[in-house]
Amino acid sequence: MAKGTQKKASTKDFAKEITSSLGGETITLCYQCGTCAASCPVAKVTDKYNPREVIRLALLGLRDEVLTGGAIWLCSSCYNCQERCPQKVEIADVIYALRNIAIREGNVPNIYAEFAAGLMSEGRIVPISKFLEKKRAEYGLPQLKPAGVEAVRKILSATGFDKIQFKKGEAQ
Amino acid sequence: MTSYALFLGCTIPARQPHYELAARKSLAKLGIELIDLDDMTCCAPPPLQSIDLETSLAIAAYNICLAEEADLNIVTLCTGCFESLAMANTLLKEKEELRERVNKILANVGKEFKGNKEVRHYLQVLMNDVGLNNLKKSVVKPLSKLKVAAFSGCHLLRPSTLLRFDDPERPKIFDNLIEALDAKSIWYRNKLKCCGGLLRGYADDVALAIARDKIVNASRSGADCISTLCPFCFLTLDLGQMLIKTTYKEEYNIPVIHYAELLSISLGVDPKELALDFHKVKLDPVLNKIG
Amino acid sequence: MEEINVGVFLSDCGKQLTGILNFEEIANHLKGVQQVSIVAVGSEFWRGQGLKTIVEAVKSGKINRVVVAESIPKIGEINIAEALEAVGLNPNFVEVLDIKDNCAWPHRDAPKEATEKAKAMLLAAIERVKLAEPIEKLEFPAVKSVLVIGGGLAGMQAAEDLADMGFEVYLVEKEPFLGGLAAKAGHFFPTDDCAICIQSPASDVKTITHTSRKCVYRSGFSEIPNLNVLTNSRVVKVEGAPGNYKVTVERKPRYVNEEKCVACDLCASVCPVEVPDEYNARLKNRKAIYVNTPLVYPPAYVIDAEACKFEKCAKCVEVCPTKAIELNQKSKKVTLNVGSIIVATGFREYDPSVIKEYHYGEYPDVITQLELARMIDAFGPTKGVIIRPSDKKPAKRIVFVQCVGSRDRRWNPYCSSICCMISLKHATLIKSAFPDTDVTICYIDVRTTGREHEYYYERAREMGIKFVKGRPTEILHDPEANLLIVDVEDELLRRFLELEADLVVLSPAMVPVEDTKELAEMLGLELDKDGFFKEYNAKLRPTETKKRGIFICGGATFPKDAPTTSLQAHSAAVKAAKFLLNGKIVKDQRTAYVNEDYCGDCEFCPVTCPYGAITLMEKADGHFVAHVDDLLCEGCGVCVGTCPVGAIELRHLKPSQISAQMKALLSVNGTSKPLVLAFCCSECGHAAVDSSGMAMLNYPANVRVLRVPCTGVLQVQHILEAFKAGAQGVMVVGCKSDGCHYEVGSQKTQKKVELAKTLLKEYGVEPERLEMFNMVYIEGDKFAEAAKAMTERVEKLGALQLA
Repeated sequence: MAKGTQKKASTKDFAKEITSSLGGETITLCYQCGTCAASCPVAKVTDKYNPREVIRLALLGLRDEVLTGGAIWLCSSCYNCQERCPQKVEIADVIYALRNIAIREGNVPNIYAEFAAGLMSEGRIVPISKFLEKKRAEYGLPQLKPAGVEAVRKILSATGFDKIQFKKGEAQ
Repeated sequence: MTSYALFLGCTIPARQPHYELAARKSLAKLGIELIDLDDMTCCAPPPLQSIDLETSLAIAAYNICLAEEADLNIVTLCTGCFESLAMANTLLKEKEELRERVNKILANVGKEFKGNKEVRHYLQVLMNDVGLNNLKKSVVKPLSKLKVAAFSGCHLLRPSTLLRFDDPERPKIFDNLIEALDAKSIWYRNKLKCCGGLLRGYADDVALAIARDKIVNASRSGADCISTLCPFCFLTLDLGQMLIKTTYKEEYNIPVIHYAELLSISLGVDPKELALDFHKVKLDPVLNKIG
Repeated sequence: MEEINVGVFLSDCGKQLTGILNFEEIANHLKGVQQVSIVAVGSEFWRGQGLKTIVEAVKSGKINRVVVAESIPKIGEINIAEALEAVGLNPNFVEVLDIKDNCAWPHRDAPKEATEKAKAMLLAAIERVKLAEPIEKLEFPAVKSVLVIGGGLAGMQAAEDLADMGFEVYLVEKEPFLGGLAAKAGHFFPTDDCAICIQSPASDVKTITHTSRKCVYRSGFSEIPNLNVLTNSRVVKVEGAPGNYKVTVERKPRYVNEEKCVACDLCASVCPVEVPDEYNARLKNRKAIYVNTPLVYPPAYVIDAEACKFEKCAKCVEVCPTKAIELNQKSKKVTLNVGSIIVATGFREYDPSVIKEYHYGEYPDVITQLELARMIDAFGPTKGVIIRPSDKKPAKRIVFVQCVGSRDRRWNPYCSSICCMISLKHATLIKSAFPDTDVTICYIDVRTTGREHEYYYERAREMGIKFVKGRPTEILHDPEANLLIVDVEDELLRRFLELEADLVVLSPAMVPVEDTKELAEMLGLELDKDGFFKEYNAKLRPTETKKRGIFICGGATFPKDAPTTSLQAHSAAVKAAKFLLNGKIVKDQRTAYVNEDYCGDCEFCPVTCPYGAITLMEKADGHFVAHVDDLLCEGCGVCVGTCPVGAIELRHLKPSQISAQMKALLSVNGTSKPLVLAFCCSECGHAAVDSSGMAMLNYPANVRVLRVPCTGVLQVQHILEAFKAGAQGVMVVGCKSDGCHYEVGSQKTQKKVELAKTLLKEYGVEPERLEMFNMVYIEGDKFAEAAKAMTERVEKLGALQLA
C-alpha cells in the first residue's frame, strides 16, 4: 500500500458507484474494525493485500489506486472475512464488484483473459483436452455430454460480457 | 432409486477424472442414480464472478434450469460448483428483483428460472438420501487405522448465510462421514482455513505459502492423509507438495485423497480401478495402512 | 332541551388586526346566523374587562355557548374556559380560535380573502359548539402505593425515594437478595467507589445523629417505614387500572425465616451438599443453604430447592441457633393494590457462546466481564486474586476483547455504552493491585463520553495498559502450553499480532433480562427494536411510558452507568408520586365511546388502539361488544377512523361536528380561488399551521383548516365528503409517520389517503387533488409551501366536476 502523504485526488462518488454495483451494496457499512484482515489467509502471508485497507481506500475515493493496483486480485474468495464481519459487509462480494469494474476499464490480469477465452470458445473456463476425453472410456467413464456453448454465447451477448476488452492485462 | 442430475463442472473432467470415477462408483454402490444432462456448462465459479457477477448468476441459473426441465435435483462433486450453483439457487429463489433481472437474460436462451429444484453437494446426498447408518452398514473395508486430516475447503461452508450446509465454525458433517468409514478425523491447526488455490495462476508464490501452511499443520498433527472435496484444494495440496519441495526444499509426503476415493475403497472398490496414478504424492502408505 | 344561544366575541387585538380583517363585515355576517344571540367586537377577551363581559353574559343566561376569536397564546384558552367553568358553563361549550396566527398574519397580503376566511372559521366554530355535548370530569381512585419491579440499583433508589415521601412501596425482586448487577460488579466507574454496599448485613446503619448521604451502607434501608422488600418474588399477573392496580406476586419459599436468621453460617458449615456457585461464575462451590457473598441484603440465608435434600438431611435445622430454618415453607401468592408501577428490571450480559470464534464456554480461560468482576471482588470466590479457571494459577497476561456481540449486526447491532469504561475499570483495578500483570485491551473505538471518563482513560494509559486497535477474529488455544492466543490485526501498526494470554476477558453486549417480553405483555408496554422498554418520549418523558401509571427506569430502558441509573430512578419516583399525589386521578371525559347497537364485534378497534384502552365485553345474550376504558383512553380517535360501521365516536368531536365544521369552512368564498380543506392533527399538524402564522409566512386564504385530535380519526368517507361539500382539494396534515404523537395514527392515515386516491380515480376525480403531508411544529414553512403548492395544483386542474 502507498506510504507517504496522500496527495492524489479522490473520486467523490466511488463509494456510491460501488454500492450501486452487484456485490458491492454493503461496503459503506464498514467501520474498519479489522476483523476481516485478521481472518484473511492471504493477508497473513503477504503485505500486498489487506481487505480492510482495500475497503478503506475505496471509501476514501482512491479509485485509481484500487482499480489499477494488484491488491484486489489477491483475494482467494475464501469468504472467511464475510463470515466474521460484525457489520455484515459482504467483503468477498465487494472484491468481486471491484474486480468487475476494474476489468470493464481494461485492468485484466492475464489469467482472467484466459478464463474468458475458454468460456467464449467452449463454454468452460478450463478447456478439456481431446486426449483426456478419449481416455475416459479407458477408465470406464461415460462419454462427456456436449456443453451448451451456444447458450453460453447468447448469455454473454445479453450481458455485454462479450464486449469486454480482455486485452492482455495491465494489472501488476 | 434416488436420481440426481450430476453436475461435473470444468476442472474435474479436465484434470481429475479419478474424482469423477470414484464418485460414480461409490454412489452407484449406494443406490444413487446419476444422470448426465446435455448442455451443461461451466458453473461460473469465482474466476468468472470476478469478471462479471451478473453473467455468472445467469450462467449458474441456466444450468439449474436444465435440471428443472429434467425434473431433477442437482448434485455436484466440486465444492466450487456447489458454492456457485447453490448460492445462485438461493439468491434467485429469495430475491425477486434479482430473479427478474436474470430471467430477462435467460429469456434469450429460452429458459426461465423457476426455483423448484435443489442444488446439493454429494456429501448431502450421503447424509440425507443414503443416511449415516446405511453408509456404515455398506462399508466392507473399514479404514480402521487411518488418521485423516479432513479438509472440506472454503466453498462447502461459506458464505454460510447462503449455502446453509453446516455450522461454519463447528462443522461436523464431513467429519461424521469420514468416521462412518471407520477412519479417524483428527484435529489440526487452522483446519477450516483456505488452501489458497484460487490464487494459482495470478500469484503462485502467495498461493504456495498458504498451501504450505496447511501441509505443515496437517503433517504436524500426525495425519496419514489429507482428505479433500474440492479439485482445486486437491491440486494445491497434492501438486503443491512437489512445488514446496522445489521452492522451500521441504518434503512432507502426506498423501492427498478425495473423500470419494476413500469412500469407494471402503465400499469395496478395488483401488486399481480408481485411476490413482493421477496423484502426485503416492498413496502407497495409505493403501498399506488400510490393508 | 334547553334553547341554544351562542355568544361570539371577536378580539381585534387592540386594533392591530383591523388593518387586515374587516371586523364590522364579519360581525354583521355572523349576526344573521341561527342561534347566535350576541356578536361583540373588542380589543381583548381573554382577560380583564373583556373576559368579564363574557362571564356576565353566561351568568345572566343570555348565552350558553361561547366562541371567542382571540390572538393570544394557548394560555388564553385555558383562562377563558376556567372562568366560564366557574360560572357553570361546561368547557366543551367553549371554542377559542386563534384569529391572528391562523388568519390575519398569514393572509395579511390579502385582506379581503382573510376576512372571508375569518367568517368561515367562525361559522365552523359556531357549528361546533352548537352540536357539542357536555364533557364530564371523571374521578378515579389513586391508591397511594407503588410497586417497584426489580431490586437493583434503580429499583432500590426509586423505592427509597417513594417510601421517604410517604408512599407504601413494594419492592419485588426475583433473586433472594437485592443488589442486582451493580452488587456483582463491585465497583463503579469513574470513581471506583464501592457498589451498593447495601449488602452488608450489619448495614443500613441509621443512627440518630447520622445518616450518610453518600453511602448506601449508612442509609438505613431497612429502617425506612412503608418500604416492603419482597425477595425471591415475581410479578405474575397485573389487573385493574392505573391508580388502582391489583398485582399478583408469587413468592418462592426461602425456607429460612428472614426475621429469625442471624447469618451465622452454622447451617452452611454442616450442609453436606455442594454445587457449583453460579453467582460466583462457578469459580467455587457453595452449599445448598447459602448467601451469595458475606455482604447481602436481606441478611438471611436461602435454600436452593433443587440441591437441598430437605427432610432426608435437615442437618441445618439441627444446628440453627434461632430455629430460623423452615423446611415446610410453601410458595405463595400475594395480591398488592398499588397506584403506580415502576419497572426497574435492569439488563444482563449477553451469552457469548453463540459467537463461536471466541470459544466462550469451550475454553475455560475465556471469561466475561462479570465473571472477572467476581474475581476482583475481595469478597468474591478468589479473594481478589485473578486466576485462570483452567488451572487456578494466577493470570499474568490478560487480554480484553471489546464489542463482543455489540455493534454487531449478526447479534446486537447497538453499542452497549458502558463496556469501554468497564474494561478500563477492571484493567486499572488489576494493574493497581498486581502491577506486573500484562494487560492489553483490543478495541474498535474507545468510548469514554461521560464526565471524568476521559481522565480515567488517561490514567489507564499512564499505568501501562496496552491498547490494540483491532477486533480479534478468533481466540485460539495452544494445548501444549495451555495458553490462549488472540488473533488480531493491529490496524495502527498494520501488523498481525498473535497475543498470548493466560486469560481472555470478553466484553459481551448488555441485553434486556430474560422475561422482558413477558413482562412487557403483562403490562402492555412497548419494547424498542433492541428489546428494551420504550419510553413515551425520549426528550420530554424519558421515564414515562404510553401507559399512564407505569414508569420505567435504569438499565431496563438501555444499558447505562450508575450515575445515569440513579438519575432515571429518581425521575421515575417523582413521576410515580406525581401520578398519585391527590389520592385521585381527575380526567376530562374526552374519550371515545361505543354505540353498542352498532358494534359488530369485528375486533378491529381493540387491536388498533395504541393504549390498550379498548376491550371486548360480553353482553347478557353472549355476544361481544367493544368497550372503552375512560382512564386509559387518550381521545385520539384512531379507533373512530378504524371502525368500519361508525359504531365508535369521540365525545369531544362527533361525526356531526366534523360534517358541520367542514360545510361551514367551505361555505364562504368571496373570491374566485378554489377552496382547499386541510384536516390538521392537533399535535404536529396544527402546530405547524400555528408556527407558519406566528412566523408571518404567507399562504393562500382559500386553504381552510379543520383541526382533529389525530389524523387517525379520519375515515375515507370524510375525505370524499369534503369534496362533495365544495372542496376542490383536500390536504391531510399530520405528524411524521415514525413520530405520530398517538403512536399509529399517522401511518394508518397514510394508507387511508392512498385508498381514497384510488376511489377518487374511480369516481373520475383527479387523485392529485388529495395529498397527505407530514411535518413537525417547527416546520411552519413546510405547511406554507404545501398550502401554496396544493392551491396552485388545484388551480391548474380547474374546477372539480362531480357527477
